[in-house]
Amino acid sequence: MSPQLIANIVVLAAIYALVSAGYVLVYRVSHVLNLAHGELMMIGAYILVATAGLFSGNPILALLLAAVSGLVMGLVVYAVLMRWLTGEAVLAAVLVTIALGILLRGLSILIWTTQQFYPAAIFGWRNPPVHILPGVQISVASLAIVALTIIVYAALFLFLQFTAWGVRMRAAGQNPLLAEQRGIRLHAVYALAWGLSTFTASLAGMLLSLDSGVESTMATIGLKAFPAALVGGLDSLFGALVGALIVAAAEIAAIQFVNPLLSDVVPFLVLLLVLAVRPWGLFGSREQLDRV
Amino acid sequence: MTNVPQAAPLLAIDDLRVAYHRVAVALHGVTLRVMPQTIVALVGNNGAGKTTALRAISGFIGVDDARVIGGSIRFAGRRIENEPPHANTARGIVLVPERDKVFPNLTVAENLTVAATRRASSAERRRLDELVFALFPALAPLRARLAGLLSGGERQMLAFGSAIVCKPELLLVDELSLGLAPVVVDDLARRVRAIRRELGITVLLVEQNVGVALAIADYGYVIESGHVVLEGPAGELRGRPEIQQFYLGLATGNQVRRYRALRERPANGPGDRRQ
Ligand SMILES: Nc1ncnc2c1ncn2[C@@H]1O[C@H](COP(=O)(O)OP(=O)(O)OP(=O)(O)O)[C@@H](O)[C@H]1O
Ligand SMILES: [Mg+2]
Repeated sequence: MSPQLIANIVVLAAIYALVSAGYVLVYRVSHVLNLAHGELMMIGAYILVATAGLFSGNPILALLLAAVSGLVMGLVVYAVLMRWLTGEAVLAAVLVTIALGILLRGLSILIWTTQQFYPAAIFGWRNPPVHILPGVQISVASLAIVALTIIVYAALFLFLQFTAWGVRMRAAGQNPLLAEQRGIRLHAVYALAWGLSTFTASLAGMLLSLDSGVESTMATIGLKAFPAALVGGLDSLFGALVGALIVAAAEIAAIQFVNPLLSDVVPFLVLLLVLAVRPWGLFGSREQLDRV
Repeated sequence: MTNVPQAAPLLAIDDLRVAYHRVAVALHGVTLRVMPQTIVALVGNNGAGKTTALRAISGFIGVDDARVIGGSIRFAGRRIENEPPHANTARGIVLVPERDKVFPNLTVAENLTVAATRRASSAERRRLDELVFALFPALAPLRARLAGLLSGGERQMLAFGSAIVCKPELLLVDELSLGLAPVVVDDLARRVRAIRRELGITVLLVEQNVGVALAIADYGYVIESGHVVLEGPAGELRGRPEIQQFYLGLATGNQVRRYRALRERPANGPGDRRQ
């Protein structure tokens, strides 16, 4: 395998990992599979298009505003929609996220049509390829995605492992009733999980749009990142990281050596393969399985 | 209450009715009082409704599909029926549950950190952690161990510890002795009395083991099938023939299965049911 190929795999894996983090956060805390995650990521990118239009002279402000909107988006989705489903069957919540995804897809086409937008162009940024090694080049935006994925994963790990609210999020996922009995407001924990989930998804959407623009098909990337999360076991961030690498490697290899048209199929082939061998994912806990 | 007239009760439950799934009524009008700084025992057989009573006081969440459908629960004078558990914990009502009492995938230390204690500075949090390790020294060397790996006794101690970190005024304990060896139970019983004596915490204790409960408690209630059938000071209850016969296993022949059946026979002494 050439170094360039490895670099491509790392970039694609970073994208999948950054997107899967949100699936894992919400699932781990509330056992809800958020199937609107890809659409929420796409909305995050469109919000950047909007803030870039408003503050084209001040990219930092536009990026910050879009990132904060990404956080608020999850809090709002929880407060107005998912909150009312706590305590109902998990399946009901999952169905609602599917409906939300379809709604967001429709709304985004109504508002932004199917046209492609380039927020980087609005800022007047170019996205030149950089040579990271002799003969290996990737775009600046891709480099930023890899860096951001590392930062996000390190931050999430530290947060979940060492802060009181991180421990509370893990606790609520294990036993929501006991969490409430220990004074933890479940709605607060769930809202936080949703906020962090759409925040990281928005960051992914924003950087992807800076790299290659945003159009109505971006939500598909969210769908392709889903196998990465599931391969890892859905309740493990480390698993999502490994799952993202496996799916990305398989996809790049298929594009390179078999047929580029396989790109959209490969993540799901990997998923089927892993689930056939280990239904609870590579790193997931076995007992979580019946809750899906 | 005629026999404990002094102060106002910390917890006053009147005619409490609780239903699961809207139809299965588990409590049919339970009335009880818990005076400040006392230990009160609620005893009864399997399925009598003890856990349901404690859960109603501590609060249900959506997944329980349980509700208080009648009567009232007053804590320090305020009505709290159907409030969520986190709100009651913030008020100072903290439960040590019967099952699933710790977070198995968190360490012992994290099980203490997890409590969202009302109005506690980080200095106070540290003080509370130290208090727990002082009350239960056996937990101190286990700080880094996953709670799921603890023995039953250690798990019960951790459950008490994580409840104490929530700064309870009223500690609800569901089955102190379940599945524990007699020496461990004795030890825990001593610590419950210490918690009341040294921290001034009021305790409502549920037990199947009537002997253990009446040895710790100041006052006791006996419930059967969702009704209070007998109450009185613990010492007095211990001496009653019905209790000895049906709950302390001292029965000799004349097998009446439940206290109520006995009570309904005219030969019995004055009824102890309230009202
Ligand atoms: N989640 C539930 N759904 C339906 N019925 C329930 C539920 N939990 C308890 N019950 C019923 O309510 C009644 C009282 O149960 P509860 O658990 O309060 O009894 P208990 O006195 O704590 O018994 P034990 O000593 O066995 O713990 C029982 O008839 C039980 O079957
Ligand atoms: Mg019980």
